[in-house]
Amino acid sequence: MLEELHVFGVYLPAALVWAVLAGVLAHLLRRLWQRLPWSSALGHAGIWELAWFVLLWWGLTAAADSFFHYG
Amino acid sequence: MDKALKSWIMKIVRLLCTLLAIALLLFAVRALWIRYQVEPVTRDGKVLADIVPIAPDVAGLVTEVHVHDNQTVRQGQVLLVIDPSRYTLALQQAQATLGSERAALAEAIREDQRNRMMSNVVASEVIEQGQTKVAQLRMAVQQATAARDLAQLNLDRTQVRAPVSGEVANVTLQPGTYLTVGKPALALVDMPSLRVEGYFEETKLQRIHPGDRASVHLMGVPGDIRGHVESIASAIEDRERSGDASKPADVNPAFTWVRLAQRIPVRIAIDDVPKGIRLVPGQTATVVVHSPGQPRGLLPW
Repeated sequence: MLEELHVFGVYLPAALVWAVLAGVLAHLLRRLWQRLPWSSALGHAGIWELAWFVLLWWGLTAAADSFFHYG
Repeated sequence: MDKALKSWIMKIVRLLCTLLAIALLLFAVRALWIRYQVEPVTRDGKVLADIVPIAPDVAGLVTEVHVHDNQTVRQGQVLLVIDPSRYTLALQQAQATLGSERAALAEAIREDQRNRMMSNVVASEVIEQGQTKVAQLRMAVQQATAARDLAQLNLDRTQVRAPVSGEVANVTLQPGTYLTVGKPALALVDMPSLRVEGYFEETKLQRIHPGDRASVHLMGVPGDIRGHVESIASAIEDRERSGDASKPADVNPAFTWVRLAQRIPVRIAIDDVPKGIRLVPGQTATVVVHSPGQPRGLLPW
């Protein structure tokens, strides 16, 4: 499990880094989502955006736990 | 009719998609909660070892320092020497006193024997006085013997030896320093007691058991140190309560609405350290306990 990340000499909690990354990715995904012609048919955009953010956060966490090693 | 049906179908699709989004959201939130709040992981861990403060048993000037900083020492090895001159003199004085008392005792015994052999011409009172003198001098000899042994012990203690094997640390001692009895002069790290202690939130303790496998990662050091849970602290201090056992409880009346889980030390025994990794007591560590087969309910809390 990756619990912290070394960023320019500062050890940050991995959860915070993945959350920020997930937020940026979810924002980019939102733009793509809005361009889809049938996006309005898929329900409330706000709920989907929130779902994407949390799913990406969890996905990044799980991927980091599986593939990254300390050091 | 077709338009109405189409609109109705669209509403159903929108509703189903929204429900799907909510379900995915809840699933991910639960997964994140378990990962970050329930799994027994802590970044608040430390490498620890028992530290023996080396202090002399006798006071005096340091004449020799036999170790340098961070040196590995064996149990019984001489670390430093306190000036033995005063203690040598004390021993000689005690030996002389003992010799004197022994001579006096021998003389008293001879006198007592003579008196007993001439009991017809020596008064009983004199014989009794002689016997008392012998008894007193025997005690004086014992006292002098104890004083001699104490002087010898003090002299022996001028050589300060390592009580355990390990590494000396914080050695800044130089010859000429005056040390008083019990004043720590340097620290000896008991290396066999090297371990990791993870300070786990009390909410995570239910998933930690003695014997569970554990992984330890040192800050900034690649590699996975393997170990197992040796024990969990049997008690921590109650910060809300003061006063000793003989007095009524003094409980803090302030109770905060927002509070943090307390942290409980969990002792991790080290089983395997990868090559090239040096454990230094005080290092920061992340500790992950691999709790075997924990049943998970629908809700993690």
